Amino acid sequence: MNAFRDIFLTGLLLGGIFALVSVGLSLQYGVARVLNVAHGEFIMVGAFITFWMLGSINLNPLVSLVITGPAVFIMGLILHKTLFRRLMDTSPSLDVFEGKSMLASFGLLYVVQNLARIIWGSDVEGYNFLNSTVTAAQIPLNRLVALGFVIVLGVAFYLFLARTRLGKAIRASAQSPTTAELMGVNIHNVLAICFGLGLGLAGIAGSLLSTLFAIQTSIGLGYTVIAMVVVVLGGLGSITGAMIGGVILGLVSSTVTFFQPSLTMIAYYVIFIVLLLSRPKGIMGK
Amino acid sequence: MLEIDGLSASYGKVQVLWDVSLRVDEGEFVALVGANGAGKTTLLNAVSGVMRPGSGSIAFMGNKVDGFAPNQIVDLGLSHIPESRQVFTDMSVRENLEMGAYPIRAWKSRRNTMKRVFELFPRLEERAGQLARSLSGGEQQMLAMGRGLMSLPKMCMIDEPSNGLAPLVVRDIFRVLKSLHEEGITVLLVEQNVRQTLAVADRAYVLENGHNVLEGPCCDLAQSEHVRKAYLGQ
Repeated sequence: MNAFRDIFLTGLLLGGIFALVSVGLSLQYGVARVLNVAHGEFIMVGAFITFWMLGSINLNPLVSLVITGPAVFIMGLILHKTLFRRLMDTSPSLDVFEGKSMLASFGLLYVVQNLARIIWGSDVEGYNFLNSTVTAAQIPLNRLVALGFVIVLGVAFYLFLARTRLGKAIRASAQSPTTAELMGVNIHNVLAICFGLGLGLAGIAGSLLSTLFAIQTSIGLGYTVIAMVVVVLGGLGSITGAMIGGVILGLVSSTVTFFQPSLTMIAYYVIFIVLLLSRPKGIMGK
Repeated sequence: MLEIDGLSASYGKVQVLWDVSLRVDEGEFVALVGANGAGKTTLLNAVSGVMRPGSGSIAFMGNKVDGFAPNQIVDLGLSHIPESRQVFTDMSVRENLEMGAYPIRAWKSRRNTMKRVFELFPRLEERAGQLARSLSGGEQQMLAMGRGLMSLPKMCMIDEPSNGLAPLVVRDIFRVLKSLHEEGITVLLVEQNVRQTLAVADRAYVLENGHNVLEGPCCDLAQSEHVRKAYLGQ
Protein backbone atom coordinates (compact mmCIF):
# COMPACT_ATOMS: atom_id res chain seq x y z
CA MET A 1 0.00 0.00 0.00
CA ASN A 2 2.83 2.36 0.94
CA ALA A 3 4.72 1.37 -2.17
CA PHE A 4 1.70 2.18 -4.26
CA ARG A 5 1.33 5.56 -2.58
CA ASP A 6 5.01 6.36 -3.15
CA ILE A 7 4.83 5.41 -6.80
CA PHE A 8 1.77 7.60 -7.22
CA LEU A 9 3.17 10.65 -5.40
CA THR A 10 6.57 10.43 -7.09
CA GLY A 11 4.81 9.95 -10.42
CA LEU A 12 2.67 12.99 -9.84
CA LEU A 13 5.69 15.09 -8.90
CA LEU A 14 7.78 13.93 -11.86
CA GLY A 15 4.71 14.32 -14.04
CA GLY A 16 4.23 17.89 -12.89
CA ILE A 17 7.84 18.74 -13.66
CA PHE A 18 7.63 16.97 -17.03
CA ALA A 19 4.47 18.96 -17.70
CA LEU A 20 6.22 22.28 -17.00
CA VAL A 21 9.11 21.33 -19.25
CA SER A 22 6.79 20.08 -21.98
CA VAL A 23 4.42 23.03 -21.91
CA GLY A 24 7.58 25.07 -22.44
CA LEU A 25 8.59 23.04 -25.47
CA SER A 26 5.03 23.12 -26.75
CA LEU A 27 4.97 26.93 -26.62
CA GLN A 28 8.24 27.06 -28.53
CA TYR A 29 7.24 24.54 -31.15
CA GLY A 30 3.47 24.95 -31.29
CA VAL A 31 3.45 28.74 -31.40
CA ALA A 32 6.96 30.00 -32.19
CA ARG A 33 7.63 27.01 -34.53
CA VAL A 34 11.12 26.50 -33.12
CA LEU A 35 11.83 22.80 -32.59
CA ASN A 36 14.17 23.58 -29.74
CA VAL A 37 16.53 20.65 -29.26
CA ALA A 38 18.41 22.76 -26.69
CA HIS A 39 15.34 23.03 -24.44
CA GLY A 40 16.70 20.69 -21.76
CA GLU A 41 19.94 22.66 -21.53
CA PHE A 42 18.02 25.48 -19.93
CA ILE A 43 16.73 23.09 -17.27
CA MET A 44 20.36 22.41 -16.52
CA VAL A 45 21.10 26.16 -16.50
CA GLY A 46 18.23 26.76 -14.05
CA ALA A 47 19.43 23.92 -11.83
CA PHE A 48 23.02 25.18 -11.78
CA ILE A 49 22.10 28.83 -11.17
CA THR A 50 20.10 27.61 -8.15
CA PHE A 51 22.95 25.37 -6.97
CA TRP A 52 25.48 28.16 -7.46
CA MET A 53 23.44 30.79 -5.62
CA LEU A 54 22.89 28.40 -2.73
CA GLY A 55 26.66 27.86 -2.49
CA SER A 56 27.78 31.46 -2.99
CA ILE A 57 25.18 33.61 -1.25
CA ASN A 58 23.27 30.87 0.56
CA LEU A 59 20.07 31.71 -1.28
CA ASN A 60 17.13 29.41 -0.55
CA PRO A 61 16.45 27.30 -3.70
CA LEU A 62 12.77 28.15 -3.56
CA VAL A 63 13.60 31.85 -3.60
CA SER A 64 16.00 31.41 -6.48
CA LEU A 65 13.06 30.21 -8.61
CA VAL A 66 12.04 33.83 -8.75
CA ILE A 67 15.43 34.62 -10.27
CA THR A 68 16.06 31.62 -12.55
CA GLY A 69 12.64 31.85 -14.20
CA PRO A 70 12.90 35.49 -15.30
CA ALA A 71 16.65 35.19 -16.05
CA VAL A 72 16.12 32.28 -18.42
CA PHE A 73 13.01 34.01 -19.86
CA ILE A 74 15.16 37.01 -20.80
CA MET A 75 17.79 34.70 -22.33
CA GLY A 76 14.96 33.28 -24.43
CA LEU A 77 13.76 36.71 -25.58
CA ILE A 78 17.29 37.66 -26.59
CA LEU A 79 17.86 34.36 -28.39
CA HIS A 80 14.62 34.77 -30.31
CA LYS A 81 15.24 38.36 -31.29
CA THR A 82 18.85 37.79 -32.35
CA LEU A 83 18.81 34.26 -33.78
CA PHE A 84 15.39 32.76 -34.53
CA ARG A 85 13.71 35.96 -35.73
CA ARG A 86 16.49 36.40 -38.28
CA LEU A 87 16.14 32.82 -39.45
CA MET A 88 12.41 33.35 -39.80
CA ASP A 89 12.83 36.53 -41.84
CA THR A 90 15.23 34.84 -44.23
CA SER A 91 13.20 31.62 -44.64
CA PRO A 92 10.87 31.40 -47.65
CA SER A 93 8.34 29.29 -45.72
CA LEU A 94 7.55 28.10 -42.21
CA ASP A 95 8.61 24.53 -43.08
CA VAL A 96 12.04 25.76 -44.09
CA PHE A 97 12.17 27.78 -40.89
CA GLU A 98 11.35 24.73 -38.77
CA GLY A 99 14.24 22.82 -40.29
CA LYS A 100 16.65 25.72 -39.89
CA SER A 101 15.51 26.39 -36.32
CA MET A 102 16.15 22.78 -35.36
CA LEU A 103 19.68 22.89 -36.74
CA ALA A 104 20.34 26.21 -35.03
CA SER A 105 19.10 24.87 -31.72
CA PHE A 106 21.38 21.86 -32.12
CA GLY A 107 24.24 24.33 -32.24
CA LEU A 108 22.80 26.14 -29.25
CA LEU A 109 22.73 22.86 -27.31
CA TYR A 110 26.50 22.44 -27.67
CA VAL A 111 27.27 26.08 -26.95
CA VAL A 112 25.17 26.17 -23.76
CA GLN A 113 26.35 22.78 -22.54
CA ASN A 114 30.02 23.55 -23.05
CA LEU A 115 29.78 27.01 -21.54
CA ALA A 116 28.17 25.40 -18.50
CA ARG A 117 30.96 22.82 -18.40
CA ILE A 118 33.57 25.61 -18.40
CA ILE A 119 31.78 27.42 -15.58
CA TRP A 120 30.56 24.54 -13.43
CA GLY A 121 32.65 21.53 -14.53
CA SER A 122 31.30 18.11 -15.40
CA ASP A 123 31.01 16.52 -11.97
CA VAL A 124 27.82 15.36 -10.34
CA GLU A 125 26.71 18.04 -7.91
CA GLY A 126 23.95 18.21 -5.38
CA TYR A 127 22.85 19.55 -2.07
CA ASN A 128 20.52 18.61 0.74
CA PHE A 129 17.33 20.59 0.92
CA LEU A 130 14.37 19.79 3.15
CA ASN A 131 15.04 16.09 2.96
CA SER A 132 13.66 15.33 6.37
CA THR A 133 10.55 13.23 6.04
CA VAL A 134 7.09 14.18 7.07
CA THR A 135 6.90 11.83 10.03
CA ALA A 136 3.48 10.28 9.68
CA ALA A 137 3.77 9.59 5.98
CA GLN A 138 7.52 8.98 5.54
CA ILE A 139 7.60 11.20 2.45
CA PRO A 140 10.57 13.54 1.99
CA LEU A 141 9.47 17.12 2.59
CA ASN A 142 11.27 18.47 -0.48
CA ARG A 143 9.08 16.31 -2.73
CA LEU A 144 5.90 17.64 -1.20
CA VAL A 145 7.14 21.22 -1.47
CA ALA A 146 8.16 20.74 -5.10
CA LEU A 147 4.82 19.13 -5.88
CA GLY A 148 3.04 22.09 -4.30
CA PHE A 149 5.09 24.53 -6.39
CA VAL A 150 4.43 22.62 -9.61
CA ILE A 151 0.69 22.61 -8.98
CA VAL A 152 0.62 26.33 -8.18
CA LEU A 153 2.70 27.13 -11.26
CA GLY A 154 0.55 24.94 -13.47
CA VAL A 155 -2.66 26.58 -12.30
CA ALA A 156 -1.15 30.07 -12.57
CA PHE A 157 0.04 29.39 -16.10
CA TYR A 158 -3.31 27.98 -17.10
CA LEU A 159 -5.08 31.07 -15.76
CA PHE A 160 -2.58 33.28 -17.60
CA LEU A 161 -3.42 31.60 -20.91
CA ALA A 162 -7.16 31.44 -20.25
CA ARG A 163 -7.82 34.86 -18.77
CA THR A 164 -5.30 37.50 -19.77
CA ARG A 165 -5.09 39.55 -22.94
CA LEU A 166 -1.59 38.28 -23.72
CA GLY A 167 -2.59 34.69 -22.89
CA LYS A 168 -5.45 34.88 -25.36
CA ALA A 169 -3.17 36.39 -27.98
CA ILE A 170 -0.80 33.44 -27.52
CA ARG A 171 -3.63 30.93 -27.99
CA ALA A 172 -4.92 32.80 -31.02
CA SER A 173 -1.42 32.94 -32.53
CA ALA A 174 -1.05 29.20 -31.98
CA GLN A 175 -4.17 28.60 -34.08
CA SER A 176 -3.52 31.12 -36.83
CA PRO A 177 -0.66 33.61 -36.73
CA THR A 178 -1.94 35.55 -39.74
CA THR A 179 -5.43 35.99 -38.33
CA ALA A 180 -3.98 36.99 -34.95
CA GLU A 181 -2.00 39.67 -36.77
CA LEU A 182 -5.20 40.98 -38.36
CA MET A 183 -6.58 41.37 -34.83
CA GLY A 184 -3.72 43.73 -34.05
CA VAL A 185 -1.31 41.28 -32.43
CA ASN A 186 2.36 42.11 -32.95
CA ILE A 187 3.20 38.57 -33.96
CA HIS A 188 6.98 38.86 -33.64
CA ASN A 189 6.68 40.02 -30.04
CA VAL A 190 4.27 37.21 -29.21
CA LEU A 191 6.56 34.61 -30.77
CA ALA A 192 9.54 35.95 -28.83
CA ILE A 193 7.51 35.94 -25.60
CA CYS A 194 6.40 32.33 -26.25
CA PHE A 195 9.96 31.25 -26.83
CA GLY A 196 11.07 33.09 -23.69
CA LEU A 197 8.21 31.72 -21.57
CA GLY A 198 9.04 28.22 -22.77
CA LEU A 199 12.64 28.59 -21.69
CA GLY A 200 11.58 30.27 -18.42
CA LEU A 201 9.44 27.25 -17.54
CA ALA A 202 12.43 25.01 -18.23
CA GLY A 203 14.58 27.18 -15.95
CA ILE A 204 12.04 26.95 -13.14
CA ALA A 205 11.75 23.19 -13.61
CA GLY A 206 15.54 23.03 -13.34
CA SER A 207 15.51 24.90 -10.05
CA LEU A 208 12.92 22.49 -8.65
CA LEU A 209 14.77 19.43 -9.95
CA SER A 210 17.95 20.52 -8.22
CA THR A 211 16.13 20.33 -4.87
CA LEU A 212 15.29 16.68 -5.57
CA PHE A 213 18.07 15.05 -7.56
CA ALA A 214 21.80 15.27 -8.16
CA ILE A 215 22.64 17.48 -11.14
CA GLN A 216 25.29 17.47 -13.85
CA THR A 217 25.96 19.70 -16.83
CA SER A 218 24.96 16.83 -19.12
CA ILE A 219 21.41 16.29 -17.81
CA GLY A 220 19.74 18.49 -20.43
CA LEU A 221 19.31 16.18 -23.40
CA GLY A 222 17.48 13.52 -21.36
CA TYR A 223 14.82 16.06 -20.47
CA THR A 224 14.58 17.30 -24.04
CA VAL A 225 13.78 13.74 -25.10
CA ILE A 226 11.14 13.44 -22.36
CA ALA A 227 9.59 16.75 -23.39
CA MET A 228 9.45 15.65 -27.02
CA VAL A 229 7.75 12.37 -26.07
CA VAL A 230 5.25 14.31 -23.95
CA VAL A 231 4.53 16.85 -26.66
CA VAL A 232 3.81 14.07 -29.16
CA LEU A 233 1.80 12.21 -26.52
CA GLY A 234 -0.30 15.28 -25.78
CA GLY A 235 -0.68 16.42 -29.37
CA LEU A 236 1.66 18.83 -31.16
CA GLY A 237 0.98 22.41 -30.17
CA SER A 238 -1.65 21.60 -27.54
CA ILE A 239 -0.82 23.15 -24.17
CA THR A 240 -3.48 21.16 -22.32
CA GLY A 241 -2.20 18.03 -24.06
CA ALA A 242 1.33 18.75 -22.84
CA MET A 243 0.07 19.09 -19.26
CA ILE A 244 -1.87 15.82 -19.40
CA GLY A 245 0.90 14.02 -21.29
CA GLY A 246 3.47 15.18 -18.72
CA VAL A 247 1.52 13.73 -15.83
CA ILE A 248 0.95 10.44 -17.68
CA LEU A 249 4.64 10.08 -18.50
CA GLY A 250 5.57 10.93 -14.89
CA LEU A 251 3.32 8.15 -13.60
CA VAL A 252 4.76 5.70 -16.16
CA SER A 253 8.25 6.75 -15.14
CA SER A 254 7.73 6.22 -11.41
CA THR A 255 6.00 2.88 -11.97
CA VAL A 256 8.68 1.47 -14.25
CA THR A 257 11.46 2.87 -12.05
CA PHE A 258 9.95 1.13 -9.02
CA PHE A 259 10.17 -2.28 -10.66
CA GLN A 260 13.21 -1.90 -12.92
CA PRO A 261 15.00 1.51 -13.07
CA SER A 262 17.13 0.54 -16.07
CA LEU A 263 14.00 0.17 -18.20
CA THR A 264 12.69 3.72 -17.67
CA MET A 265 14.30 5.29 -20.74
CA ILE A 266 13.26 2.29 -22.83
CA ALA A 267 9.69 2.70 -21.62
CA TYR A 268 9.69 6.31 -22.87
CA TYR A 269 10.83 5.27 -26.33
CA VAL A 270 8.37 2.37 -26.50
CA ILE A 271 5.53 4.76 -25.68
CA PHE A 272 6.87 7.23 -28.22
CA ILE A 273 7.05 4.69 -31.04
CA VAL A 274 3.73 3.04 -30.24
CA LEU A 275 2.10 6.47 -30.19
CA LEU A 276 3.63 7.58 -33.46
CA LEU A 277 2.32 4.43 -35.09
CA SER A 278 -1.12 4.24 -33.46
CA ARG A 279 -2.15 7.79 -32.64
CA PRO A 280 0.28 10.20 -34.29
CA LYS A 281 -1.87 13.21 -33.43
CA GLY A 282 -1.70 12.59 -29.68
CA ILE A 283 -4.34 12.84 -26.96
CA MET A 284 -5.54 16.36 -27.72
CA GLY A 285 -4.40 16.45 -31.34
CA LYS A 286 -6.66 17.37 -34.23
CA MET B 1 -9.97 57.66 -46.71
CA LEU B 2 -8.16 54.81 -48.48
CA GLU B 3 -6.13 55.58 -51.55
CA ILE B 4 -4.34 52.88 -53.52
CA ASP B 5 -2.20 54.05 -56.40
CA GLY B 6 -0.46 51.94 -59.04
CA LEU B 7 -0.20 48.86 -56.85
CA SER B 8 1.66 45.79 -58.12
CA ALA B 9 2.17 42.62 -56.13
CA SER B 10 3.55 39.14 -56.73
CA TYR B 11 3.81 35.80 -54.96
CA GLY B 12 7.34 34.73 -55.74
CA LYS B 13 7.63 34.99 -59.51
CA VAL B 14 3.91 35.06 -60.18
CA GLN B 15 2.64 38.61 -60.51
CA VAL B 16 -0.94 38.94 -59.27
CA LEU B 17 -1.66 42.68 -59.34
CA TRP B 18 -0.66 45.06 -62.14
CA ASP B 19 -0.80 48.77 -61.54
CA VAL B 20 -4.12 48.70 -59.65
CA SER B 21 -5.62 51.91 -58.34
CA LEU B 22 -8.61 52.28 -56.07
CA ARG B 23 -10.08 54.97 -53.86
CA VAL B 24 -12.59 54.80 -51.02
CA ASP B 25 -13.89 58.07 -49.58
CA GLU B 26 -15.01 58.48 -46.01
CA GLY B 27 -18.53 57.13 -45.47
CA GLU B 28 -18.64 55.33 -48.82
CA PHE B 29 -19.64 51.74 -49.49
CA VAL B 30 -17.33 50.56 -52.24
CA ALA B 31 -17.30 47.10 -53.78
CA LEU B 32 -14.48 45.27 -55.50
CA VAL B 33 -15.80 42.53 -57.72
CA GLY B 34 -14.20 40.05 -60.06
CA ALA B 35 -13.78 36.36 -60.71
CA ASN B 36 -11.83 33.89 -58.61
CA GLY B 37 -8.11 34.59 -58.93
CA ALA B 38 -8.57 38.17 -60.11
CA GLY B 39 -6.37 39.38 -57.24
CA LYS B 40 -9.03 40.79 -54.93
CA THR B 41 -7.79 39.04 -51.78
CA THR B 42 -4.20 39.90 -52.61
CA LEU B 43 -5.17 43.55 -52.79
CA LEU B 44 -6.72 43.40 -49.32
CA ASN B 45 -3.71 41.51 -47.95
CA ALA B 46 -1.40 44.19 -49.32
CA VAL B 47 -3.46 46.94 -47.68
CA SER B 48 -3.65 45.22 -44.29
CA GLY B 49 0.08 44.46 -44.28
CA VAL B 50 -0.18 40.68 -44.47
CA MET B 51 1.85 40.78 -47.69
CA ARG B 52 4.29 43.33 -48.98
CA PRO B 53 3.39 44.94 -52.30
CA GLY B 54 6.05 45.15 -55.00
CA SER B 55 5.42 48.75 -55.97
CA GLY B 56 2.83 51.46 -55.76
CA SER B 57 1.51 53.33 -52.77
CA ILE B 58 -1.21 52.85 -50.18
CA ALA B 59 -2.46 55.71 -48.03
CA PHE B 60 -4.98 55.53 -45.21
CA MET B 61 -6.44 58.78 -43.84
CA GLY B 62 -3.69 60.72 -45.50
CA ASN B 63 -0.79 58.64 -44.11
CA LYS B 64 1.36 56.43 -46.27
CA VAL B 65 0.93 52.92 -44.84
CA ASP B 66 2.63 50.56 -47.31
CA GLY B 67 5.20 48.46 -45.49
CA PHE B 68 3.35 48.79 -42.18
CA ALA B 69 2.87 45.65 -40.08
CA PRO B 70 -0.74 44.40 -39.78
CA ASN B 71 -1.00 45.45 -36.13
CA GLN B 72 -0.11 49.04 -37.05
CA ILE B 73 -2.83 49.10 -39.71
CA VAL B 74 -5.44 47.84 -37.21
CA ASP B 75 -4.28 50.47 -34.72
CA LEU B 76 -5.02 53.17 -37.31
CA GLY B 77 -8.63 52.00 -37.53
CA LEU B 78 -8.68 49.80 -40.62
CA SER B 79 -10.11 46.34 -39.96
CA HIS B 80 -9.64 43.45 -42.40
CA ILE B 81 -12.26 40.70 -42.07
CA PRO B 82 -10.54 37.84 -43.87
CA GLU B 83 -11.72 35.38 -46.47
CA SER B 84 -13.26 32.10 -45.27
CA ARG B 85 -13.99 33.60 -41.83
CA GLN B 86 -10.84 32.37 -40.02
CA VAL B 87 -12.45 32.36 -36.61
CA PHE B 88 -10.36 30.94 -33.77
CA THR B 89 -12.09 27.56 -33.64
CA ASP B 90 -10.68 26.45 -30.28
CA MET B 91 -11.78 29.62 -28.52
CA SER B 92 -15.27 30.55 -27.39
CA VAL B 93 -17.39 33.08 -29.26
CA ARG B 94 -16.77 35.60 -26.49
CA GLU B 95 -13.00 35.05 -26.62
CA ASN B 96 -13.02 35.48 -30.39
CA LEU B 97 -14.72 38.84 -29.93
CA GLU B 98 -12.23 39.80 -27.22
CA MET B 99 -9.38 39.02 -29.60
CA GLY B 100 -10.95 41.45 -32.05
CA ALA B 101 -10.57 44.14 -29.39
CA TYR B 102 -6.84 43.44 -29.01
CA PRO B 103 -5.57 46.98 -29.74
CA ILE B 104 -5.26 48.74 -26.37
CA ARG B 105 -7.61 51.59 -27.26
CA ALA B 106 -10.33 49.03 -28.14
CA TRP B 107 -9.52 46.64 -25.27
CA LYS B 108 -10.57 49.17 -22.64
CA SER B 109 -14.07 49.51 -24.02
CA ARG B 110 -14.49 45.89 -25.12
CA ARG B 111 -17.52 45.19 -22.93
CA ASN B 112 -19.53 48.06 -24.40
CA THR B 113 -18.43 47.24 -27.93
CA MET B 114 -19.45 43.64 -27.39
CA LYS B 115 -22.94 44.76 -26.36
CA ARG B 116 -23.24 46.64 -29.65
CA VAL B 117 -22.00 43.63 -31.60
CA PHE B 118 -24.57 41.45 -29.81
CA GLU B 119 -27.31 43.89 -30.83
CA LEU B 120 -26.21 43.51 -34.43
CA PHE B 121 -25.86 39.72 -34.15
CA PRO B 122 -28.20 38.39 -31.43
CA ARG B 123 -27.21 34.81 -32.35
CA LEU B 124 -23.69 35.46 -31.11
CA GLU B 125 -24.96 36.44 -27.69
CA GLU B 126 -26.96 33.19 -27.44
CA ARG B 127 -23.80 31.24 -28.26
CA ALA B 128 -21.26 33.41 -26.42
CA GLY B 129 -19.91 30.54 -24.32
CA GLN B 130 -19.69 27.98 -27.14
CA LEU B 131 -16.52 27.10 -29.00
CA ALA B 132 -16.43 28.80 -32.38
CA ARG B 133 -15.96 25.42 -34.08
CA SER B 134 -19.50 24.45 -33.08
CA LEU B 135 -21.08 27.33 -35.04
CA SER B 136 -22.64 26.97 -38.48
CA GLY B 137 -20.97 28.61 -41.47
CA GLY B 138 -23.33 31.58 -41.35
CA GLU B 139 -22.79 32.05 -37.63
CA GLN B 140 -19.02 31.87 -38.11
CA GLN B 141 -19.27 34.61 -40.73
CA MET B 142 -21.27 36.74 -38.29
CA LEU B 143 -18.61 36.05 -35.65
CA ALA B 144 -15.83 37.07 -38.05
CA MET B 145 -17.68 40.30 -38.83
CA GLY B 146 -18.47 41.00 -35.19
CA ARG B 147 -14.84 40.34 -34.31
CA GLY B 148 -13.73 42.75 -37.01
CA LEU B 149 -15.91 45.46 -35.46
CA MET B 150 -14.46 44.97 -31.98
CA SER B 151 -11.36 47.01 -32.84
CA LEU B 152 -13.64 50.05 -33.31
CA PRO B 153 -12.63 50.53 -36.94
CA LYS B 154 -13.28 53.61 -39.04
CA MET B 155 -13.22 51.41 -42.11
CA CYS B 156 -13.79 47.69 -42.73
CA MET B 157 -12.47 45.59 -45.59
CA ILE B 158 -14.64 42.48 -45.85
CA ASP B 159 -13.50 39.58 -48.00
CA GLU B 160 -16.21 37.38 -49.55
CA PRO B 161 -18.61 37.19 -46.62
CA SER B 162 -21.24 35.32 -48.68
CA ASN B 163 -18.87 32.57 -49.81
CA GLY B 164 -20.32 29.09 -49.30
CA LEU B 165 -23.45 30.23 -47.49
CA ALA B 166 -27.10 29.42 -48.18
CA PRO B 167 -29.09 32.14 -50.02
CA LEU B 168 -31.16 32.96 -46.96
CA VAL B 169 -28.05 33.46 -44.84
CA VAL B 170 -26.46 35.55 -47.59
CA ARG B 171 -29.46 37.87 -47.45
CA ASP B 172 -28.88 38.33 -43.71
CA ILE B 173 -25.20 39.06 -44.27
CA PHE B 174 -25.97 41.75 -46.84
CA ARG B 175 -28.54 43.27 -44.52
CA VAL B 176 -25.91 43.51 -41.79
CA LEU B 177 -23.40 45.05 -44.21
CA LYS B 178 -25.94 47.71 -45.05
CA SER B 179 -26.60 48.53 -41.41
CA LEU B 180 -22.85 48.70 -40.69
CA HIS B 181 -22.53 51.28 -43.39
CA GLU B 182 -25.53 53.19 -42.06
CA GLU B 183 -23.80 53.33 -38.67
CA GLY B 184 -21.06 55.36 -40.31
CA ILE B 185 -18.41 52.73 -41.04
CA THR B 186 -16.71 53.05 -44.40
CA VAL B 187 -16.88 49.71 -46.22
CA LEU B 188 -14.76 48.07 -48.89
CA LEU B 189 -16.50 44.83 -49.82
CA VAL B 190 -14.88 42.13 -51.93
CA GLU B 191 -17.43 39.80 -53.50
CA GLN B 192 -18.11 37.31 -56.24
CA ASN B 193 -21.82 37.65 -55.69
CA VAL B 194 -22.01 40.58 -58.12
CA ARG B 195 -25.75 41.02 -58.35
CA GLN B 196 -26.37 41.51 -54.61
CA THR B 197 -23.19 43.53 -54.20
CA LEU B 198 -24.11 46.06 -56.86
CA ALA B 199 -27.49 46.42 -55.15
CA VAL B 200 -26.00 47.57 -51.82
CA ALA B 201 -22.77 49.41 -52.71
CA ASP B 202 -22.36 53.02 -53.87
CA ARG B 203 -19.50 52.48 -56.27
CA ALA B 204 -17.67 49.43 -57.55
CA TYR B 205 -14.40 48.44 -59.18
CA VAL B 206 -14.08 45.44 -61.45
CA LEU B 207 -10.79 43.56 -61.29
CA GLU B 208 -9.82 41.06 -63.99
CA ASN B 209 -6.56 39.10 -63.99
CA GLY B 210 -4.98 41.63 -61.70
CA HIS B 211 -5.94 44.68 -63.77
CA ASN B 212 -8.50 47.43 -63.17
CA VAL B 213 -11.02 47.11 -66.00
CA LEU B 214 -14.04 49.11 -64.93
CA GLU B 215 -15.15 51.44 -62.21
CA GLY B 216 -18.11 53.61 -61.49
CA PRO B 217 -21.36 54.01 -59.59
CA CYS B 218 -23.08 50.65 -59.09
CA CYS B 219 -26.21 51.62 -61.00
CA ASP B 220 -24.08 52.43 -64.09
CA LEU B 221 -22.02 49.25 -63.79
CA ALA B 222 -25.15 47.12 -63.48
CA GLN B 223 -26.23 48.49 -66.87
CA SER B 224 -22.85 48.04 -68.57
CA GLU B 225 -22.72 45.50 -71.35
CA HIS B 226 -19.51 43.92 -70.05
CA VAL B 227 -20.71 43.46 -66.48
CA ARG B 228 -24.07 42.10 -67.58
CA LYS B 229 -22.45 39.51 -69.84
CA ALA B 230 -19.54 38.48 -67.64
CA TYR B 231 -21.02 38.68 -64.15
CA LEU B 232 -24.78 38.85 -64.25
CA GLY B 233 -25.35 36.17 -66.86
CA GLN B 234 -27.62 38.36 -69.00
